[in-house]
Amino acid sequence: MGTLDTEILVIGSGAGGSITAARLADAGRQVTVVEEGPWVDAGAHEPFSLEEMVAKYRHHGASLALGNPNIAYAEGRCVGGSTEVNSGLYHRLPESLVADWGARYAIDGFTPAELGRHADRVERELGVSTLPGAPPPSSAMLERGATKLGWRHVEFARVFRYDAAGRGTKQTMSRTMLPRALRTGARIVADCRVQRLVRDGDRVVGARVRRRHADGAVERLVIRADHVFVCAGAVETPALLQRSGIRRNAGNGLKMHPTVKIAGRFPHPIDHGDVPMHRITEFAPSLTIGGSASRRGHIAMALADTGLPFDEALADWENISVYYAAIRSDGSGRVLAVPGLASPVVTYKLTEGDLSRLARGIVHLGELLLAAGATELHPSIQGGPVVRRVDELGAWWDALTRSRANLMTVHLTSTVRMGEDRQRTGADSFGRVWGHRNLRVNDASLLPDAPGVNPQAAIMAIAARNCDEFLAS
Amino acid sequence: MLWFEREVVTALVGSDDPAVRSAVEAFVDGSLRDKPEHVRLGVAGESILLGGYAAALRALGRLDGDDALRARLESWEGGPIGVVRQYVRAMKSLVIFAENELATSQAA
Repeated sequence: MGTLDTEILVIGSGAGGSITAARLADAGRQVTVVEEGPWVDAGAHEPFSLEEMVAKYRHHGASLALGNPNIAYAEGRCVGGSTEVNSGLYHRLPESLVADWGARYAIDGFTPAELGRHADRVERELGVSTLPGAPPPSSAMLERGATKLGWRHVEFARVFRYDAAGRGTKQTMSRTMLPRALRTGARIVADCRVQRLVRDGDRVVGARVRRRHADGAVERLVIRADHVFVCAGAVETPALLQRSGIRRNAGNGLKMHPTVKIAGRFPHPIDHGDVPMHRITEFAPSLTIGGSASRRGHIAMALADTGLPFDEALADWENISVYYAAIRSDGSGRVLAVPGLASPVVTYKLTEGDLSRLARGIVHLGELLLAAGATELHPSIQGGPVVRRVDELGAWWDALTRSRANLMTVHLTSTVRMGEDRQRTGADSFGRVWGHRNLRVNDASLLPDAPGVNPQAAIMAIAARNCDEFLAS
Repeated sequence: MLWFEREVVTALVGSDDPAVRSAVEAFVDGSLRDKPEHVRLGVAGESILLGGYAAALRALGRLDGDDALRARLESWEGGPIGVVRQYVRAMKSLVIFAENELATSQAA
């Protein structure tokens, strides 16, 4: 078995791992990043396409949290992680949540001012901006519906840079932080899965990995490191810790934003190349309304969710777009690494309150789309019904049951919470795993709860903050 | 992909174009292979049970051809057994997504 030596090993190259690699390499540290997925050119595939699903997503984009009901989820598995496949929406952690989490989990130095300082720098480096021109029709529909109903709404900024012609380029990690880390001496090893960490007392001395080469050959390596940062996301990070014998508060308390959808049909064409950037914040943070990827394949899947015939609607797919209502959930889940299985078992328990919020969410979303001019709404509820008038929306209250709801999510967090309350956290206030001097977590796992907004900004700001603390210590 | 899974895909694909049918089958095959082991095991178990049931119906002359299987899948999708509903929905989602995405690619 070969060996490789590095000062700092970063496991995972998504929002948390890339920020970690760039910050530490900037500071002159010798950094090696290992990523389970392949390096895929950021512009190689159309966003949200079939080809992208195959190349960049874990499980072809069809991962599953088991429960009643099951919840489908998607996450990236490539260099850059989920930043390569998400919509790039960027929303700072609400200040009220920072204060609440800081107090409830006794997180040192966790203040809006401190996180804001790091967010400022991340935003400068990445380029975070709103659309330079008018929003596309799919987004304008949200704005129009909210305006008619008098609901608060906002155009979210995105991690995008725009050229003079208004063409936007998503600033994924493979376009930004990872090249930056490479320029300052970091090494990135793709197609390299960490099987387990190698421990020696209260220290982690390295990791056993399997690296797949282009010719299909598999190389087994031990990467020896002085410090290890696990940044593999809220599912794979606790699974790796568990496989390595670290189980205390690792994997329980999984949080997410369970989401219901509607395929809304309009009397005019809707764009399908991008994700709407407007969000309805009238009911935030418990409930957020927005738009989803709406390529023809997504529209067909959304129409099929009712189980009712949909050929006539699909023939009109260019006038249809998919929208969602996402909730902050009272429920929680678990990630469990089972010996002999490469993938962890993920479970999630939805509460009755969650189900009620989802029903409220889909009814509000229906109201909004009808106000925006939609003529037909197909809900993600088995058996429908398809709705055309506001007075028909009430039927969805009873229709959305555990056995009939088709739910999904893209935001998973909170499986190795941070804070000084050792009973409830798996890592200290800056991500150091309890009981280990040189092992840190620095990704979505640290967030004490699902934030109710896209978590990418929070993950990046917290990761940058934790790197500063590491360098200072 | 197990034999019944291939039958289900064949029944659900709407296109007559052999290239599309083959590409959809390849995508579903890849997706099933790529699923977490425990999920794949569950799907495979259901495929064997439902495939056995379908074979029995066929032997009795009550399930002839793709149309009959498609109708049977629709009745399972609206039926009372949750895991069977989810099985049909999962297979259908894969087929529908792939077929419609391929249609977009072809149009382009």
